[in-house]
Amino acid sequence: MSKIMNTMNRRHFLKTTSGVAIAGAATLAAPSLANAAAGGKVVIVGGGVGGATTARYLKMGNPDIDVTVIEPKASYHTCFMSNEVLGGERTMGQIEVTFDGLMKMGVKVIKDHVTAIDAAKKTVTTAGGTTYGYDHCVVAPGISFVVDPFVKEGEAVFDKLPHAWQAGPQTALLRSQLEAMPDGGKVAIIAPPNPFRCPPGPYERASLIAQYFMHNKPKSKVVIIDRKDKFSKQGLFTQAWKNLYGFGTDNSIIEWRSGASTGGIDAVSAADMTIETLSGGKEKFDVINYIAPQVAGTIASIAGLTNDKGWCDVDKTTFESKVHKGIHVLGDASVATSMPKSGYSANSQGKVTAAAIINMLAGKPVGTPSYVNTCYSIAGKDYAFSVAAVYRFDAEKDVIGGVAGAGGLTPMDASAEMLRREVEFAHSWYNNICKDTWG
Amino acid sequence: MRKFMTYAFATGAVISLMGFSTAQASDAEASMLANTCNGCHGPNGVSQGPATPTIAGMNKNYLIESMTNYRDGTIRKSTVMQRIAKGYSDAEIAKMADFFSKQKFERVAMQKTDPAEVAKGQALIKDMCEGCHEKDGYTAEDYPVLAGQMLPYLRNNLMDFDSGSRNIEANPNMSDKEKRKKLRVLGELKEKGGVEAVLQFYASRK
Repeated sequence: MSKIMNTMNRRHFLKTTSGVAIAGAATLAAPSLANAAAGGKVVIVGGGVGGATTARYLKMGNPDIDVTVIEPKASYHTCFMSNEVLGGERTMGQIEVTFDGLMKMGVKVIKDHVTAIDAAKKTVTTAGGTTYGYDHCVVAPGISFVVDPFVKEGEAVFDKLPHAWQAGPQTALLRSQLEAMPDGGKVAIIAPPNPFRCPPGPYERASLIAQYFMHNKPKSKVVIIDRKDKFSKQGLFTQAWKNLYGFGTDNSIIEWRSGASTGGIDAVSAADMTIETLSGGKEKFDVINYIAPQVAGTIASIAGLTNDKGWCDVDKTTFESKVHKGIHVLGDASVATSMPKSGYSANSQGKVTAAAIINMLAGKPVGTPSYVNTCYSIAGKDYAFSVAAVYRFDAEKDVIGGVAGAGGLTPMDASAEMLRREVEFAHSWYNNICKDTWG
Repeated sequence: MRKFMTYAFATGAVISLMGFSTAQASDAEASMLANTCNGCHGPNGVSQGPATPTIAGMNKNYLIESMTNYRDGTIRKSTVMQRIAKGYSDAEIAKMADFFSKQKFERVAMQKTDPAEVAKGQALIKDMCEGCHEKDGYTAEDYPVLAGQMLPYLRNNLMDFDSGSRNIEANPNMSDKEKRKKLRVLGELKEKGGVEAVLQFYASRK
């Protein structure tokens, strides 16, 4: 698979670089103009958590820096709490953020799609035909999907079998399918192989869909067809499913099938609404949530920033690409071992990146980074748990290492009161991280 | 009255036994360390609610006390802070506390309170709380700011004082006299059925 991808990447890259060459003549002046900005010029590709946090903290740290965010969407739907939308606990509007906060603080937000980045010329080119020069470029494109060869419909599959792993229309589509499904129906969540965005996400999703079924369609089931044999927060999820949804009994709303138990997926058909596994044969579902395998967002591979696995290797103290100087990659697209691909990680990395760029532009040492991840999963009413970590950079191992003795999971014996509070904190987390990221 | 130094040295010893160096960890700037908190506590520690407390504008010593008590794990129990506090040395905690103490406590979250409860609370706090949480809970000289703090957070903490899960007796930062007074006032408030009223009064401050 990675071989195929590499060939594809190179082809994309050649196509786009020749495009830049043509556009280049018309926009030669841009880089010099950019460099003339008093505090330096930073162009950020992507207005998600990583990109927006970097933009905000650059401006807060040094208002003289000229910061431009290029993002194709007019507003952004957060993946976090989108499982509450699927469960009917939250509206689409309640996971939508705008870029007004960024613009108010002087960040230029351009609605356009980046098609090429030229690391040598230090330019970013968009589908709209504009070329932007930069001193530092920040690439925060999130994820893109690699549709499995066993999916008959190819890329078009998501129109019928939504991934809903980038929030927005896909979330709304999956929600409407769940609403339209008759009671007694069966939903499959195909959980992706590692690494992927939001490791506990598929299991929180199963939980909140189960909660919706329990109250609205009690004869319905959620079947997680996993590509893995174990998953994030497994002990806590399993315990919650037992407590809330009869997990392990004949009447369980949730069923989890490990990769080993199914022997792997042989075919997925949107036309027939079937999934075929080695051990289980062909099985029909009413709704299939196909969370496809993932790699860094497409622009990262187009710009030649990805490794042979499709993710971006970076200096973990500055998030500067190990391939191209002057380009920083953060959030889900980056290899930030051992931080997970989470919204909080992207937020934390945005602050480290902003501080590094501010210092680099000022000709100062980049300073010592500090990182945190805090991630909540809501399993049901008054029932949530979390994982947290405080990290420091370990130069010897080149990893962002968790501080020994700190962090970890909600304990398995947490009281009902503590699980209830975690829901309050999860909702607070949402409000605060959105404010901290987009203003 | 507050025994910060003794406690700080004691925990310092524990931390170095756990195998990471305090000196090495202290290189990160205050803002770098403090910014990692904002994802949960809000920009510059100003919470958007509904439950996570605002930590901006708190007095530095109280923030240090909170973090070291969370880190201890027995004096002040919590959901996530116990786990996070263990990631920081005394020097780092001091830097973060200093940073947040210099931010402005802003009251931005919309909190629903009941005017009748608020009025009842207002009458109660004059005699019972004002001695420590001065000026209707707006001041932060020796104690945490209560005015405009998140109501669920205030409720959780009163519940924890009452159950002993936030252990006043074991808090090394309080004198015996303070401990006696706190526990006495809490008992009296409960007797009068005024706990919720007092919390609503503080939460309603703009």
